[in-house]
Amino acid sequence: MAKSAAEWNASPKFPVTHYVDSRIYTDQAIFQEEMDKLFKPSWIIACHESEIANAYDYRLFTHPTGVPLIIVRGEDMKVRSFYNICPHRGNTILYDPAGNAKRMTCIFHAWSFDSRGNCVDISRAEQGYQDRFCKEDAGLREVKAEVGFGGFVWVNLDDASCTLAEYIGPALDVLAPYMVEPMEVFHFNRAIVDTNYKLWHDTNSEFYHDFVHYFNRITGMMQPGYFDRKYTAFPNGHATVGSMQIQYDKYEGSKERAVGWPGLAPGGWYMVDLFPGMTYNLRTSVLRIDTAIPLGPNKVAIEFRGLGLKSDTPQQRAERVRDHNTIWGPFGRNLHEDLLAVHGQGRAMRKGTDSRWVIQGREENATIHDEVGMRHFYAEWGRRMGRPAYDPLRENRPEPARAVA
Amino acid sequence: MEQRQKIEELVYRTCLALDDRDFKGFLDLCDESFRYKVTAYSPEIRKDMVWLDHDKKGMETLFTQLPRHNSDHSPLTRHATVYTVKVNGTQAEVVSALQVFRTALDGGATELYSVARLVDTVKLDGGDPKLAQRVVRIGTRQLGFGSHIPF
Repeated sequence: MAKSAAEWNASPKFPVTHYVDSRIYTDQAIFQEEMDKLFKPSWIIACHESEIANAYDYRLFTHPTGVPLIIVRGEDMKVRSFYNICPHRGNTILYDPAGNAKRMTCIFHAWSFDSRGNCVDISRAEQGYQDRFCKEDAGLREVKAEVGFGGFVWVNLDDASCTLAEYIGPALDVLAPYMVEPMEVFHFNRAIVDTNYKLWHDTNSEFYHDFVHYFNRITGMMQPGYFDRKYTAFPNGHATVGSMQIQYDKYEGSKERAVGWPGLAPGGWYMVDLFPGMTYNLRTSVLRIDTAIPLGPNKVAIEFRGLGLKSDTPQQRAERVRDHNTIWGPFGRNLHEDLLAVHGQGRAMRKGTDSRWVIQGREENATIHDEVGMRHFYAEWGRRMGRPAYDPLRENRPEPARAVA
Repeated sequence: MEQRQKIEELVYRTCLALDDRDFKGFLDLCDESFRYKVTAYSPEIRKDMVWLDHDKKGMETLFTQLPRHNSDHSPLTRHATVYTVKVNGTQAEVVSALQVFRTALDGGATELYSVARLVDTVKLDGGDPKLAQRVVRIGTRQLGFGSHIPF
């Protein structure tokens, strides 16, 4: 039966762990707080090592908090990260998103830096600064950077953070056997969508939304094993879901993936969601990585990467690219549907729409349509934000009686 | 000159057919050997990328599956300008500029959605020219929530 205003605003009849206040997706103050408490101290994927394969190769990355970063491989082949901000007059140092720069020189006044962040030249230094300031005083701000878990370059803005290994814990153990061989990025695409970053991560954290995907219904949901996939939750808000065998031949025009992935059963599919907005998605022949870069409460940039093996022959690579594009490319069957769905959520939840709650109440013994993955994320969100996601503005709403099944 | 006019008209007819979602009409303008590709260069990873690659049968399947999928229904309008036509025996290479506009169903606002270059191979062995290959070299890589309907 349809609801009155009072009924619409009343807390859902679930335990408070099973729904969130939709203002966590729209409130500017909460968004700012998330940047400080969730993103700044977290390890975030900036790029893959194959994007900076050679000495002096660099890659730019805008951190979710907004900080512009340079990721650069030094002559010692170590990967480091620095603010892309000249310590002189605050200008951008490197402009192109990727390249090779033995010296990183600011175009504004020609101050120059090496791949270790040292300032190696200040133009007309002695004439202007005499002995009051020298290049040793003008290093770049270095940010923690580590390479790991499949050769990805991770950065952390918090000098006092835990190590990357401590942050990830056992969450990526399930993928470790499949990330032994060196990989290479063959696809990069950035989608900007008017929605909250958590809504994208939610979509990656639950499979109940397979109803939006004809491809997944036909090749997965209607096939044996689908409902056996189980979620496993890990510390720090990470979660994974077990594999199944995708029946690609059930989709007209598709076929069994010929190229596969070393060690992975044919048609296998693992996903690992990492707090606060990254996903590893290994599906049969391609590893897809999502990195959410929040731009505002109702705007997110999602960076998508597709990876194959560095050892691929041209034929194998072409097959992986084809497999990737069929479902995950910008014209693919599934990506458009997922993005359209979260765009719709952003449209319905934007400030002023009187959207109130998002229910995450499905319990199916942690199997594929259980919403435990999202609940686990919001438990961590509440721990880090210092209040629960069902009451983010501390209105102390009473917990409703639980619905009887 | 008449030949060039026929070739240009073929390019424009393919755009009109796709604009009208007349997918059969589009495929009728294509040769049996037809191949369709969307490519883009990524300055971020410094690589050429392929975003779509189908033969005629693959395109036909893509179109026939559309009603089973959830898609954005905003109309796309293609504006092509044929720049060059190089005839070589029984085929021609045609380079065109393409702009794709998207019009919102609710309210009708139109936005520029993508710029691209079409590199077409046209078969000329008697009768009406047919599209043998289309490579859409996309300039706009940021396509929001994407599209199920190619350009």
